[in-house]
Amino acid sequence: MVFSTVITSSPHLYFPKTTVPIIQRAIRTCSASLSTDQQRISTSQFDLKTYWTTLIQEINHKLDEAIPVQYPQKIYEAMRYSVLAKGAKRAPPVMCVAACELFGGHRLAAFPTACALEMVHAASLIHDDLPCMDDDPSRRGQPSNHTTFGVDMAILAGDALFPLGFRHIVSHTPTDLVPETHLLKVIAEIARAVGSTGMAAGQFLDLEGGPNAVDFVQEKKYGEMGECSAVCGGLLAGASDEEIQRLRRYGRAVGVLYQVVDDMLEAKMDKEIHKDKKKNTGKSYVAAYGVEKAMEVAEDLRAQAKKELDGLEKYGEKVVPLYSFVDYAADRGFGVGDEVE
Amino acid sequence: MSYSLLAGGKRVRPILCIASCELVGGQESTAMPAACAVEMIHTMTLMHDDLPFMANDDLQHGKPTSHKVFGEDVAVLVGDALLLFAFEHIAIAIKGVPSERIVRVISELAKCVGAEGLIGCQVVDICSQGKSDVGLDLLEFIHIHKTAALLKGSAVLGAILGAANDQEVAKLRKFARCIGLLFQVVDDILDVTKSSQQLGQTAGKDLLADKSTYPKLIGIEK
Repeated sequence: MVFSTVITSSPHLYFPKTTVPIIQRAIRTCSASLSTDQQRISTSQFDLKTYWTTLIQEINHKLDEAIPVQYPQKIYEAMRYSVLAKGAKRAPPVMCVAACELFGGHRLAAFPTACALEMVHAASLIHDDLPCMDDDPSRRGQPSNHTTFGVDMAILAGDALFPLGFRHIVSHTPTDLVPETHLLKVIAEIARAVGSTGMAAGQFLDLEGGPNAVDFVQEKKYGEMGECSAVCGGLLAGASDEEIQRLRRYGRAVGVLYQVVDDMLEAKMDKEIHKDKKKNTGKSYVAAYGVEKAMEVAEDLRAQAKKELDGLEKYGEKVVPLYSFVDYAADRGFGVGDEVE
Repeated sequence: MSYSLLAGGKRVRPILCIASCELVGGQESTAMPAACAVEMIHTMTLMHDDLPFMANDDLQHGKPTSHKVFGEDVAVLVGDALLLFAFEHIAIAIKGVPSERIVRVISELAKCVGAEGLIGCQVVDICSQGKSDVGLDLLEFIHIHKTAALLKGSAVLGAILGAANDQEVAKLRKFARCIGLLFQVVDDILDVTKSSQQLGQTAGKDLLADKSTYPKLIGIEK
């Protein structure tokens, strides 16, 4: 599959990236994947939980500094409310930092972009939760932004977080660590991932598309963020085009895997409690394909993601965090960030 | 996205951007992506501003606003998409300019759009609706930011891309600020004096929303 790089004179040459969404490929090639742990780096010694929770603390601290309350207070309070929510797991920043360090980058180079990813992620969630969209009364264990601040403030808070993210990248990334050309690629990547061909497309189809759109929706809504986070980390560190493509496929697989497993856990919980969840039905992977198939797909996505990292063996130990992340997404061996819905 | 972006409109901001660039010795083609970007931002702010729970204008440029045609959910998403695409476009479509300068352009645009600029002003505007003690100072603050923010941004982006020095950029920023205020004062006057048809927008809405405007505060004559 040939990709154009992000910088091109014809901006949308790189779409559509795949003609067959990743989940459909997974179903079709659903042969039993060998557990190739014998061949790969053992991750049993790596403490992902500590790595992750340490990073979360750093990121939270930087986010707190990045959004000080100033005039007019209300908008800053609204922005902070969503970005600094205690239930946030910070998966995008962690993936970004890990990807950057994988290619020899310093985490100081990655932190501003990692924060920007969170801001932009929070912005899309604020808008997704609006009454005219998914109409979610709660998010990350607290009332959603519009419930607390009103719909008008929620819209503006989301609107303000997008440019703040970009600005944060530009103002806080040390230029001795990352040349400006790379910063522009990062900005373009984030804008693309969240915009009209990325997450916004996913959300649109989630709201307006028919029941068969579930694969596309999953990939667009969740795959894009994973892909974007990993790719940004690589771009910051100056990874090669081929390495970026690997990160892209890795990130997308992990993002979707994460959501498929979330859907399975939710379905399990609903069954046990017999609760009627109002959330976003119809576009749940389990609802569309059933638990059995979902499990198969999850395993296949796990294998796919790890396969992409296989080509990066020359980086040795540095690939371990991203590798462990895949298993976490599938198995959820521990809780992170006050794990709530 | 097309519906709103190509709905008409005088394209004041793009023109200001390009003119600014050319004034300091740059080329139109250099500034064009930035010119388009500011128009996208302008369009999205109108789109979000027009939503029922915000300023509520059913007519914009003489055509029904997006949310009436496509639905509120689409209007929110499309606004977001335009906002993001503006930045993407600047990041990838500007030719013949060193990256350091393009990065500065991104920073300027982000500043003028965000909570310190346009959006901040919309917040103040919303928070001060219906209040009787809004003085001229606050009014000027709202107006400066609301209209002038993006005009300032347009001029500054053009200047930076045209390789203006800091003094030139500062001058153009000031110029645009005055133009912005002028625009807004005249807008307010027209809202009171003209009809919907002539305006292409719903007339009289400022009074209905009990907004603070120059005519209301200091009278039409002044």
